[in-house]
Amino acid sequence: MVRHQRSWPIHLALLIVCLVMLVPFYWVLKTSISGENIFSYPPNIIPRAPHPFYYVDVWYAIPFARYFLNSVVVSVLTIVANVVLNAMAGYSLTQSFPGKRVVLMLFLSCMMIPFQATIIPAYLITGKLGLLDSYLGLALPMFSTIICIFVFKASFDAVPRSLIDAARVDGLSEGRIIWKVMMPLAKSAVATNVILSFIWSWNNFMWPLIATRSQDMQTLPLGLARFISYQEDTTGALYAFCIMVLAPGILLFLLAQKEFVQGLTTGATKG
Amino acid sequence: MSFEGDPARSVRKRWFVSRFVLVPCALVLIAVLWNAWVFTHNHGVVAGRVVDAAGAPVEGAEVKLWVFNFTTFVEQASTKTRSDGSFEFAKNPSHNIQLSAEKLGVGRSRIPVRLYFQSEDIVLKRPLQLSSADADNK
Repeated sequence: MVRHQRSWPIHLALLIVCLVMLVPFYWVLKTSISGENIFSYPPNIIPRAPHPFYYVDVWYAIPFARYFLNSVVVSVLTIVANVVLNAMAGYSLTQSFPGKRVVLMLFLSCMMIPFQATIIPAYLITGKLGLLDSYLGLALPMFSTIICIFVFKASFDAVPRSLIDAARVDGLSEGRIIWKVMMPLAKSAVATNVILSFIWSWNNFMWPLIATRSQDMQTLPLGLARFISYQEDTTGALYAFCIMVLAPGILLFLLAQKEFVQGLTTGATKG
Repeated sequence: MSFEGDPARSVRKRWFVSRFVLVPCALVLIAVLWNAWVFTHNHGVVAGRVVDAAGAPVEGAEVKLWVFNFTTFVEQASTKTRSDGSFEFAKNPSHNIQLSAEKLGVGRSRIPVRLYFQSEDIVLKRPLQLSSADADNK
């Protein structure tokens, strides 16, 4: 009881911080249904005469369904590739092999190279493979991310060594150990990989801008840029578009937030 | 074989009723129902009535359908009201329209109409009310 009494100021402070952090989201949502300009004075906290028609405008102003489909296909490809490739890479980093420290150092140093610096080689490689302006080409540079490899590595490190040895004694190959033993024990790492790779792929603007040539292959962030470029008086519709782009990512995060937080904190409290 | 005795089946059942399956299925269901509603209500019918300032039906008023065309509203079709003041357009292609009605000596009126999808069938709940004041303003 005493403990509860002492903790309420902390909860109150946390609640206020939460509200402050949610204000921009609320403002975007409010503007998307009211169309009220952000510079209008005095600002209204409650939307006046809310309606959903800005969403309808966005749906018909650009080929939204096509862009949405493109984003979904690219994101699904990215998620599948990230889970498979990062799990294999993460598992290999839990094993002992000559040059492991060098590989780890290489991975860590590569994290410091921004994607913009690798765009030209990525473009040339994708072009040589004949994958420009295709779903596979749009997803290819995001097929594996170093942060997600380390998420898997941290999760696999927490699995007792004896379990892997027992699986080897039972005759399982390394591949089957990953999929039959390690992956079921690393659900939080899988969730983290799914969410991170989805959000990075979903929000990616630069690479689709470079890798796509036809309008039919554009993704939602490109659609947003196109929408802004040719629509006038777009306050309400622009914010509605933002909500429509953000909604899948927020939904995915809300669905898997427990596993996501677990995945990020795996290994943090080890020992 | 009892259900409790089959762990694999139990896991499968738990997976099917988890939020990772139920939420996407609910979204797909909503999308299917919405599309079914759209496909059965998108004939482009726009109907309504025209009345004068006193609320009496106006016969022979010219009603125009204006469709939003990228930056402005352009005239799409026109018709005359019947004896009970009613009118109907058959092939509205848009979701963002305006309706104007005018009769010499009675007045004019123009209202925006927003629809939930293109070519949505709609019957206006409130009639277009002609007023001379509106005519003066325009």
